[in-house]
Amino acid sequence: MGGARFAGFLVQRVIKMVVMVFAIIVANFLLVHAAPGDPASVIAGEAGAADPQFLAQLRAQFGLDQPLSTQLWLYVSHVAQGDLGVSYRQQRPVLGLILERLSATLLLTGTAFILAVLGGVTLGALAARRVGRTSDSLITVLALALYATPIFWVGLMLVLVFSVWLDWLPSFGMNTVGADLTGGAAVLDTARYLLLPALTLGLFYMAVYARLTRAAMLEVASQDFVRTARAKGVPEGGVQRRHVLRNALLPVITVAGIQAGQLVGGSILVETVFAWPGIGRLAFDALLARDYQILLGVFLATSVLVLVFNLVTDLLYAWIDPRVEMT
Amino acid sequence: MNGLLGDFFGTFLRNRGAAAGLAVLALVGVAAATAGLLFPYSPWDMRGAPFMPPGEMEFLLGSDSLGRDVAAGIAYGARVSLLIGAVSTVVAVLLGITLGAVAGYAGGMVDDAIMRFTEFFQTVPSFMLAVVLVAIFSPSIGSIVAAIAIVSWPPVARVIRAEFLSLRSREFVHAAEVLGRSRTAIVFRVILPNALSPIIVLASLMVASAILLESGLSFLGLGDPNLISWGFMIGAGRSVIRIAWWMSVFPGIAIFLTVLALNLVGEGLSDALNPRLARRR
Amino acid sequence: MSLLDVRNLTIALPPGAERAHAVEDVSFTLEAGEILCIVGESGSGKSVSTGAIMSLLPPALRVVQGSIGFEGRDLLRLKPAEMRLLRGSRIGMIFQEPMTALNPLMRVGEQIGEVLKVHGARGSAGRVQELINAVQLPDPDSIARSYPHLLSGGQRQRVMIAMALALEPAVLIADEPTTALDVTTQMQILGLIKEIQSRRGMGVLFITHDFGVVAEIADRVAVMQHGRIVEAGAATQVLNAPQHPYTQALIAAVPHRARALDAPPTGRPVLELIGVRKSYWRGGGLFSPRVKVPAVQDADLVLRKGETLGLVGESGSGKSTLARCVVNLVKPEEGTIRYHDTDLRRLMRRHWKPYRKRIQMVFQDPFASLNPRRRVGDIIAEGPMAHGMARASALRRADELLALVQLDAGAAERFPHEFSGGQRQRIGIARALALEPELLIADEPVSALDVSVQAQILALLEDLRQRLGLTMLFITHDLRVAAQVCGRVAVMQRGVIVEQGRTAEVFAAPQHPYTRSLLDSIPGRHWLPPVAQISDQGAVD
Repeated sequence: MGGARFAGFLVQRVIKMVVMVFAIIVANFLLVHAAPGDPASVIAGEAGAADPQFLAQLRAQFGLDQPLSTQLWLYVSHVAQGDLGVSYRQQRPVLGLILERLSATLLLTGTAFILAVLGGVTLGALAARRVGRTSDSLITVLALALYATPIFWVGLMLVLVFSVWLDWLPSFGMNTVGADLTGGAAVLDTARYLLLPALTLGLFYMAVYARLTRAAMLEVASQDFVRTARAKGVPEGGVQRRHVLRNALLPVITVAGIQAGQLVGGSILVETVFAWPGIGRLAFDALLARDYQILLGVFLATSVLVLVFNLVTDLLYAWIDPRVEMT
Repeated sequence: MNGLLGDFFGTFLRNRGAAAGLAVLALVGVAAATAGLLFPYSPWDMRGAPFMPPGEMEFLLGSDSLGRDVAAGIAYGARVSLLIGAVSTVVAVLLGITLGAVAGYAGGMVDDAIMRFTEFFQTVPSFMLAVVLVAIFSPSIGSIVAAIAIVSWPPVARVIRAEFLSLRSREFVHAAEVLGRSRTAIVFRVILPNALSPIIVLASLMVASAILLESGLSFLGLGDPNLISWGFMIGAGRSVIRIAWWMSVFPGIAIFLTVLALNLVGEGLSDALNPRLARRR
Repeated sequence: MSLLDVRNLTIALPPGAERAHAVEDVSFTLEAGEILCIVGESGSGKSVSTGAIMSLLPPALRVVQGSIGFEGRDLLRLKPAEMRLLRGSRIGMIFQEPMTALNPLMRVGEQIGEVLKVHGARGSAGRVQELINAVQLPDPDSIARSYPHLLSGGQRQRVMIAMALALEPAVLIADEPTTALDVTTQMQILGLIKEIQSRRGMGVLFITHDFGVVAEIADRVAVMQHGRIVEAGAATQVLNAPQHPYTQALIAAVPHRARALDAPPTGRPVLELIGVRKSYWRGGGLFSPRVKVPAVQDADLVLRKGETLGLVGESGSGKSTLARCVVNLVKPEEGTIRYHDTDLRRLMRRHWKPYRKRIQMVFQDPFASLNPRRRVGDIIAEGPMAHGMARASALRRADELLALVQLDAGAAERFPHEFSGGQRQRIGIARALALEPELLIADEPVSALDVSVQAQILALLEDLRQRLGLTMLFITHDLRVAAQVCGRVAVMQRGVIVEQGRTAEVFAAPQHPYTRSLLDSIPGRHWLPPVAQISDQGAVD
């Protein structure tokens, strides 16, 4: 696979990403101005609106008395330099707050994603192999049920069962407060706290991938090249692995890219339920305090995450499927 | 149309899941409609002691932290869920069909522009966008419906555009063109009726996800403050889950059953609509 | 002893199918070193019989009775693991659709090597290239490293043959391997199969619906109808003196040059194409310029009143594009399309309406050319209603037309999916005639139909042409059909009309090398179907 072709593809995608980020920043700007009320008090939030000095400072900073195009330019250049505003309530720059908690969210969503994909693809492939039999029906029903439950409720039910009734796992936070652990013990400790939230976020998407994989494998299994493989005398295992599964993974990768946005968005709910110190939790607190700067900052941050993830899945897809035209 | 419609209902009802789903939805609808009769008081009324377990006093499903009847909340909440689910889906579908049809039929630069626009909405995390929209425009039933519609229309546009693109080059559309039919006739009377069946399936699934979205929003406190909804009840029960598990469990079960029913109905629709298309020779 | 001995094979269809058995009491033998052709129309059970040999039937089809003797064993009694060992190593199989027959995510060389590896042979790169060479593909190294989507249909079919023959099986089963290929490619593939077969002394079981192919390669023939073998014997015997009425009807349906040498048309020109040019743009993105692909280049032709002009070419020749230019489905960028005295190319869309009544089209795919959601009566009435006729009179007209195309009046109330392919094509013809056009363009109207149905539709078109005084532009890739139907013919290659003239002359003495190669590629061109002793029975549509 040509390295130059790949590089060209990468460059094209990155350019698209940058354009998209720009569009989101502009959208943020428009939202602030479309909201009812004075943009300054919207930006300042509940706490800041009470402080006339802060309001005046904001007005000057955002050039709110200047024409709209200048304001847009100011806003964009601020953001481009990493200035996402300052939270009045916390008296700290928004960017700092976000960066602090980003790793926690990445840990949570990353683990949930791996769980969802591995679990989902395995179950889906299993169901497809045994289509029509009891194991298939069980898996399908399970997937259907998981797909119908709200994520936050699953989280609460898991807390109810495993934390309140059985007291096996902790129900909130990321690690034991005051324990001051290091090395392996710290990792284990965090894992205990990570299990329920990751499971919560992951189970829903596991259902999505299970159904998708099952459908994709059944569809691919009926295609001509699978018959060709059997006619060559390829044993059934080889047919499933080399021919069916490989081709069935393509739609799974596509959907994974599309689902990324929902996965990251779902983290706000899970982090709220489990008091997980990530940017989702940050957003929830900002909601309560009506600190819109933080909210918009988190929105931008999560969008960038999704874009990066989409880039990875696009590259993965193009690498696997030689029919994708790279230029 | 009788032959087609009869065929369709027959296949649909033979799917046990879909039939069960329809039954559950009917139940939910009845509960919503008769909420006023079954519980002739406001769900916000304090009806007795707080934290009563289910079955005690007259609380079928228990009472919440302010002594409000959980069962009444669920019945009245059904109205909100069904209303918001249906209306936001209708708006999203209309938006999506319009944009998708224009993109698919016009092609070229118009198609490109609309597709970039759609991509934008599909890239940003939809729940977050809904949260931002409702937060900034103050939570109310109007802003919630608008926010859900705004994050839900892209798949509809994509599907309609894909259908249009594929149908546009189908020979019976060419035949209509050669017969001399007008462009509007071709779009509305030839292409669109054939493009709609995937939308019917999609719409029932969209009502389900609209209900999930709404419950997430009200769980976070972004629901309409005047209307009781299932997500709000779960959110209210979160901090006291150790002493009043029924506050969170029952509304969740209500959401689960309604969404499951909608998904089953959607799958039944998909199965019923497809064999006819697949029936050749 | 025969190589393959099929006895009393009966395979049941699932309940609710059109008949109880897919194949019933079928028996035939295949000897080493011979080619046995199994001929039949769709639904005759030919694919099912051969699928049973390799045990590759869908689970819904059950073998009820019978035996298949091969190398001393009954294939139907083998365990799945034993059968798998035979597939690809002792019996090879190739299928109809080359475009979807290869795994799109695996390189061609890998796929060929796979058949070697799963049977324990060495799958070295050298061996793979030898195999690619043996099927006459140039540049084996680059082919081996390519992915399937970079190869053409003919190349992919050769790869399939390479895979099927890699381990030198005793039997090759070919299930309509050339049906989806161009006629020139088909000839090459048939030649390749014959050559390999004679070199190795293999037995080949070749399924086809085309008697021309049978005439070209078969040693023996078996004719199947409704799951039974109705006639079998030596190819020369069956082809020239068919005994069974069904065989006779099928052979009679093969288009033959029965077209009388018409007097050259002297009417005034109805349609004149001068210098028509249409190109498509492909590719284009951030880093590469768009490529202009010419579909039609400088096409010139004249169509006179009352005649049938054939536009002949393989896929990609531009014949369909040219037809679409005439009806304004695509807009050519240059040239003149003169209909009587008007240049159609310069007309704006809104001025086209009156011409729609005079130029109509019949399409190729009977399954895609009718709106699945409308009743047949409405479909036919659509045209007149769009031009102002009242609904009631339009529906009456539809009933008249249904009678004209020999469908019963009740058809108007039914939906397209309730009809067979041939019947839908009749509906398509009725729809085109509803506006009483002067010029009828038929875009491969019989290519998607079984051969007996094809004959009926061609007869119908000829009858209508004479009765209504139609002028026809007939597009086809099948030279036999063109010979039967068209008085004059124009040959297209890659967008250019390379030769045109009276059919009899062009076919007898082709001037252009492409025309010559096209004519040479007609399978069984030296065989003249016996036109005498045809019975009137045959497949009823």
